[in-house]
Amino acid sequence: MALAFIEAAKHKNDALVFPAFNLSLAAGEVLAIYSNVNIRSQLMELLLERSSLSQGKIELAGQALGRKSVKMGFLFLNDGVYKRLTVLEALRFYKNLHSSSDKVDEVLRKVQLEPKKKTKLEKLTPSEQRRIQLAALYFQNPDVWVMEEPDQNLDMESKRIFLSLLNELRAAGKSVFILSGNLENAVTAADRVYRLDENGLYQIQTLEEEPEAAEEAEESAAIESMQPIRFEKIPTKVNEKIVLFDPPEIDYIESSEGQSFLYVKGEAFPSYFTLSELEQRLLPYGFFRCHRSYIVNLQKVREVITWTRNSYSLVLEDAKKSSIPLSKSKMTELKGILGMK
Amino acid sequence: MNQSIKRVNAIFQKDFKDFSRNLAVSVVLFMPLFVAALYGRMGIDTLDAHYMIINLTFAMVATFVQCCLIAEEKEQNTLRGLMLSPASTAEILSGKSLLTFVLTILVIAVGALLSEYQPENLLIVSLAIVLSSFFYIALGTLLGLWAKSVMEASVIILPVLGIFSFGSFLLPLAEKYPVLGVVEYLPSVQLIEIATKVENGAGFSETAAQFGIILVWTAAAAILTAVVYKKRMVD
Repeated sequence: MALAFIEAAKHKNDALVFPAFNLSLAAGEVLAIYSNVNIRSQLMELLLERSSLSQGKIELAGQALGRKSVKMGFLFLNDGVYKRLTVLEALRFYKNLHSSSDKVDEVLRKVQLEPKKKTKLEKLTPSEQRRIQLAALYFQNPDVWVMEEPDQNLDMESKRIFLSLLNELRAAGKSVFILSGNLENAVTAADRVYRLDENGLYQIQTLEEEPEAAEEAEESAAIESMQPIRFEKIPTKVNEKIVLFDPPEIDYIESSEGQSFLYVKGEAFPSYFTLSELEQRLLPYGFFRCHRSYIVNLQKVREVITWTRNSYSLVLEDAKKSSIPLSKSKMTELKGILGMK
Repeated sequence: MNQSIKRVNAIFQKDFKDFSRNLAVSVVLFMPLFVAALYGRMGIDTLDAHYMIINLTFAMVATFVQCCLIAEEKEQNTLRGLMLSPASTAEILSGKSLLTFVLTILVIAVGALLSEYQPENLLIVSLAIVLSSFFYIALGTLLGLWAKSVMEASVIILPVLGIFSFGSFLLPLAEKYPVLGVVEYLPSVQLIEIATKVENGAGFSETAAQFGIILVWTAAAAILTAVVYKKRMVD
């Protein structure tokens, strides 16, 4: 196991941050933890050994964490770059600092900054600066890559580069540990996604298996018997009120922590129904179950983005240009719906 | 060892490129040189004048530049990356000090040329200057770790400038106010002492006490810097 949390729990100022959990990260695996900012920063502190666990331990390659282990590399959310250096100079510096044998040109091509190699870092966009940090980490070449919000505010191009880098790391047998507060990003990037909160660690289903087929049939039978009159508005709860939405108003539906949320004009409304119930009801209105945890209104989809051969996203045409994940098996289904075989 | 030299060299080269493009800081190099040229042309060549320029160089170049280099790494959040790299504390600190050291010695040499200072015993004087520069660089590192930004760095340098560069001006008052006697133990005053003795034909044995005092200052600053750096590493 590249990185393992064993009965790890953390209390801070007599308050529980997270209860004991076990988690292990194998070589060649990308794992994401979806949590709030507080837990994320606590985990970073723990991995950096700036604070210690209240209980349990963290192991790196079978050994307790040692200070300054080169085997673990960090990508911080608010890391800086040497803004007066050019791209080429910065990469040469990182190469020498880490005594790396990788060629500068090769890494430059990987982060696709070749046209800007003579540009000073301060003139780069924040996304491009983040790619410089990825390059620095690439020269360090750690076994475990710890990334804090790796694709927050990244532009499309950088996100594509980031996701193909993840594929390369998988192939090279490296482990990637992503800490993110954005479920969509976590689901797109990682093989396994967990939610960590004060109640513990839960796996978020991202795999394609459909164990609830029987359950769904049961549910749909129940709905049919319960609702003799078909009513097309979808109720949501807002405080004590019930708000009804027309299906075409809905952008997409996300399921998080066992609760489904309707997204209308960028706002989330908790729904009374489960995702599969909603799927049943909304199918006739051109809705599509694009992922285990998402249903999308196909009328609102503007773009289908292919990050890598088996990771996709849908970009909606709402004001926020929300992007939601599309799983591999659903991609074929979607192509069928769109009439392209 | 080879690896370690490579890392120190990488940090040095990076700092050199960064520094040469950072006009706001690199312009201070010209200040002592300007004063030196002025003194040289005006024909002022007392020992005190020469050493005012040298002590000014120590404060403006060794301490201030070093302080800015460290403070900027902190401000831009790049120091953390260095700390997490395979480079050790000693490698990072010597890499970061190397540029300042080279600049300090260069400015002092050019300054001495301009103000036409020729010591009787070049070896002793240069040794004393090199040793003093270690103290001022350590002091700059310490202040840089202290300061939160480059802006703050340029403010906290002022007391250093006052105490260490112009401290010798207080000496005549020491007879009236015995408290000011401590000024005599300042490294800048000790340096002038060494220079005066050298002009009178003294050798190593006569200046050993002065060297000792400067060494104590240097060791104290270095230890304090290492402690603060280790502490900064944790938070």
